[in-house]
Amino acid sequence: MIEIQNLSKSFGHPVLCDVSLVVPMGCLYGLIGPGASGKSVLLKMITGLMRPDTGSVSVDGQNVQALTDIELASFRLKFGMLFQNNALFDFMTVADNIAFPLRRMLEVPEAEIRQRVEERLRAVSLGGFGERAPSGLSGGQKKRVGVARATVTRAPIIFYDEPAAGLDPVTSQKIFDLLRDEQRRAKQTVIMVSSDIDRLLTVTDRIGMMYRGSLVFDGTTDEALHSEDARVKQFVHGLTEGPL
Amino acid sequence: MNGTAALALAPLTRARDALYDLAGTMGQMGIVAARIVLRLVHVDLDGRELLRNLYKMGVKSLPIVVVTALFTGAIMVIQAAPIVQRYGAQGLLGWGAGFGTLREIGPLLTALMISGRVGANNTAELGTMTVTEQIDALRALAIDPVAFLVVPRFIAIVATLFFSTLYADALALFGAAYAGDALIGVEPMTFYNGLVSGLLGIGDVMNGLVKSVIFGIMIGLSSCHFGLSVTGGAPGVGRAVNATVVTSAAGIFVVDYLVSFLLG
Repeated sequence: MIEIQNLSKSFGHPVLCDVSLVVPMGCLYGLIGPGASGKSVLLKMITGLMRPDTGSVSVDGQNVQALTDIELASFRLKFGMLFQNNALFDFMTVADNIAFPLRRMLEVPEAEIRQRVEERLRAVSLGGFGERAPSGLSGGQKKRVGVARATVTRAPIIFYDEPAAGLDPVTSQKIFDLLRDEQRRAKQTVIMVSSDIDRLLTVTDRIGMMYRGSLVFDGTTDEALHSEDARVKQFVHGLTEGPL
Repeated sequence: MNGTAALALAPLTRARDALYDLAGTMGQMGIVAARIVLRLVHVDLDGRELLRNLYKMGVKSLPIVVVTALFTGAIMVIQAAPIVQRYGAQGLLGWGAGFGTLREIGPLLTALMISGRVGANNTAELGTMTVTEQIDALRALAIDPVAFLVVPRFIAIVATLFFSTLYADALALFGAAYAGDALIGVEPMTFYNGLVSGLLGIGDVMNGLVKSVIFGIMIGLSSCHFGLSVTGGAPGVGRAVNATVVTSAAGIFVVDYLVSFLLG
């Protein structure tokens, strides 16, 4: 379980304001909100990549802020993460990018690494792309490589920051379905940030909405769809009239 | 404070701010240095990354070092030619070229070339990795970016500069010997005799090599520091590269002065 209490962060201007949230184990949680509302920063706080000014984050009972650098390193083995900009390593091939966490974090035998990399590439419809350089891929292909790398370690908690950005509708739906199937099969706890609200709502268990650094909604997907909160209603249904 | 007083104090205020910036940069470079030393003490670095960077920084810099060194030797002969010819001091050409090259020109020009090629490139790479979240991705994968990226690059830069200086010294003397023959008729053997006549010693070679290591540390620290502290996307990377080139070049001259003063 991920438990966030009164989290605040400022970079000269407030980015997170007193955010409290609980994500139950095995839940696929969708985090939505307009740009620059603090969604990506919140994900980085949970993994300990950023420190909050106030408040606390606890994952499976471990207080993230209390961990030393060495403890944080082993703590992060619990996570897989897809970054908004994909964050593929330019100096490695696609296959090496996907294999990287297996080689560096888990010391898996090389034969198994090759087999898992191939399986991941096929899962994101990129079979045969292993020897290409990331710079030679389209935005959507890079995103899919990012998804493959985030999921290759079979970590129990996975964060996807815009997993479908730059993808065509068909591939986008395939990726959402794939992530949902894997989440169910492996009983992962997933937080998914996406602007593709229509598809996101087809896979999530719960939804949280961030607005100007605050969590303004937290509830089930059904509750989000029928929310009377003007901000949630406008954002979820893509209305042009409203407070946003 | 009224407007006139503020205007009068503006240069002082700018000087104070510049001093604060300089102190801040020095402090941050000190922190990067401490992190590198800590990893070196624990031999915590990535061997594959080290080899990759040694090849990319060292081997691929050879052409630029060769061209710079050969022409540097030849230029020194052109500058010395009028005096050598006027006083018939052909026998001192080897000593003069050797003294200037080994102690000063060899390490200095090699450092400036490596700073422009390797230091700037290193900052651009690390800066791009920072703004595209690749550094965060490493940390998310439980990998220490300092051990994985910074330490191998730092070692590669220092080693590149040390060996490039050795190579450049030899090539510059070679260039000077043959330029002396071609331009003012000083035979290579006369040049060689001047070089090994006893006026030059191992201390002169070591003087230049000690400088090359210190210059390497300077370039390594500034390029890694500015690369890792990039903010503001692609324009930020450009600013960081500019800062690295300026800081490294200015630092090389300041450090050169101090080391020359201390080592004599």
